[in-house]
Amino acid sequence: MARDGTLVAALLMLAIYILIAVFSPYLAPYAPSDLAGRPLEGPGNSHLLGTNDLGQDIFSSLLYGTRATLFLGFLGGLISVLTSLLFGMVSAYYGGLTDEMVTRIVDIMMTIPGFPLLIVLVVFLPQSLFIIGGVMGLIGGAQGIRVIRSQVLSLVEAEFIYGVKAMGASDHYVMAKHILPGVFPLAIMMFVNAAQRYMLMGVGLGFLGLGDPSVIDWGQMISRAYSNGGFALGLWWWLIPPGLAVVLLSLALALLGYSLETEAEPRLKMRKMIH
Amino acid sequence: MRLEYLGWRVFYSFLAFAISITFTFILIHAMPGDYLHVILPSLADKNPLATELFEEQFGFDKPLVDQYVLYVINVFQGNWGYSIQYGQPVTAVIISKLCWTMIILLPATLLSILIGVAIGSYSGWSSGSLADSFIFKIMIFLGAVPSYWWAIILILVLGFYLGLFPLGGYMSVRALNEGLSYYDVLYHAVLPIVALTLAMVPGVYYLMRTSMLQTVGQDYILTARCKGLGELKILQHHALKNAMLPMVTMMAIELAHTIMGSVFVETIFSWPGMGYLTYEALRVRDIPLLQGIFLMDTLIIILANMATDFSYPFIDPRAEVGKIG
Repeated sequence: MARDGTLVAALLMLAIYILIAVFSPYLAPYAPSDLAGRPLEGPGNSHLLGTNDLGQDIFSSLLYGTRATLFLGFLGGLISVLTSLLFGMVSAYYGGLTDEMVTRIVDIMMTIPGFPLLIVLVVFLPQSLFIIGGVMGLIGGAQGIRVIRSQVLSLVEAEFIYGVKAMGASDHYVMAKHILPGVFPLAIMMFVNAAQRYMLMGVGLGFLGLGDPSVIDWGQMISRAYSNGGFALGLWWWLIPPGLAVVLLSLALALLGYSLETEAEPRLKMRKMIH
Repeated sequence: MRLEYLGWRVFYSFLAFAISITFTFILIHAMPGDYLHVILPSLADKNPLATELFEEQFGFDKPLVDQYVLYVINVFQGNWGYSIQYGQPVTAVIISKLCWTMIILLPATLLSILIGVAIGSYSGWSSGSLADSFIFKIMIFLGAVPSYWWAIILILVLGFYLGLFPLGGYMSVRALNEGLSYYDVLYHAVLPIVALTLAMVPGVYYLMRTSMLQTVGQDYILTARCKGLGELKILQHHALKNAMLPMVTMMAIELAHTIMGSVFVETIFSWPGMGYLTYEALRVRDIPLLQGIFLMDTLIIILANMATDFSYPFIDPRAEVGKIG
């Protein structure tokens, strides 16, 4: 029962975040770029969390910032899982030379440090949410290929796959109807974990000044507070809310991942033994 | 089998580095404005010979393929270009910053391993108990918190409100008169070390717990119990040593990865290490420096990987290399 409680709590938290992201224009008292008050006002009635150095309402920015972070996390997670699924399945299913090539390339990719590569690529490419999410997903996806591959390898040898093949099913049919459902629970968990990682990373990139400059994100908010004396003046209402927002979001996803993991225990045990 | 496997690993590492070099070469050439031409005019003013030297070293007048070959040779000879911001060779800048990173990274790694191993082995040893599930849940919470959040909270609470620690930097203003003292540097290093440790503990914990769980099920633990050994003795002499083995692999690689991962902690604390250097290089788009940082990171991680590959058979003679990991 406790397990269910965790799952429900995590989903509820996530739902609140998604609702805030969708309805932020209606919830926010000011447009985030509006110079709505005097600069560096403390929290008060007119400005729930005060204003930043330009006099923009921090609470409104906080609500709008939900969008970029959620979007980055989900896009990155989706692309990373799709990459892992595609290459992992094809590699394990066909075996032979294809498998050899994919595993070799993954071996080499794993040696190149992911985060520095991400930073350098993001500097180099145009700064948009789509591209940042895509690059994060592709780099992270390469690391998931092994996990999917080992799971599919154990499936490919199963009797029912031989049976279906003997009945004349095409490779595409077998992969879509029989292999994919087998790795689907694993893929969902990988998605949740990846989304959590990329949300944290997205805020981190924003902090480093690598976010999409055309949108508001929590990382850029922290970065602005950091470089404009947020620490020296102890402006907690500027530093804490964006950080806390991402920490709670990350917690929700971590709990979701944890409860999914415990739900899917038997499959997971199998994965851990193979891996 | 062992030699062949190690040979392949070395080959892959080499390939990975070759890819990284190619990548940085493309990066530098695809960036608008040849960076050396940015530095060159000011240098040529002071020293006309510099132009010639640069032409010779980087081969601007040659075709792109020749430039690439020159670039590769330069990288292997340690000429990684010149930082725009510092006006110094990239390697010199990076190496001076690496020492500063190590001042906070080494204690943080040691601490996190000590704490992670202690809690992780206890948790794995008493798996299923109330304490285990309690610790496990706390670690899920800790693991979900990013390092920058620890840094922000530590500065605000312990630095600003309680005034126990400095808000950042690596020395007090006093040091301008009295000179840099070790005590002062350590005093500034405390909070960054704590933040890094907090961020690293969950990873160590998970690995140690899983490893301990596997060890507990081994036959030799059962044998030890049958001999009538006390639980504590079994834990100390039989379980812990064996469960620690994967930690060795983890340690070097973790350390290598955190050199880069400390970018947030170092930046928020204004600690003058590699992470802060990366932040600065990004801020002013110092591409040569960024290229150097990337190459250095790749190199460090490749070396860490190889070191663990080669040392593992000595640490655990049972392991047939190629079958583990």
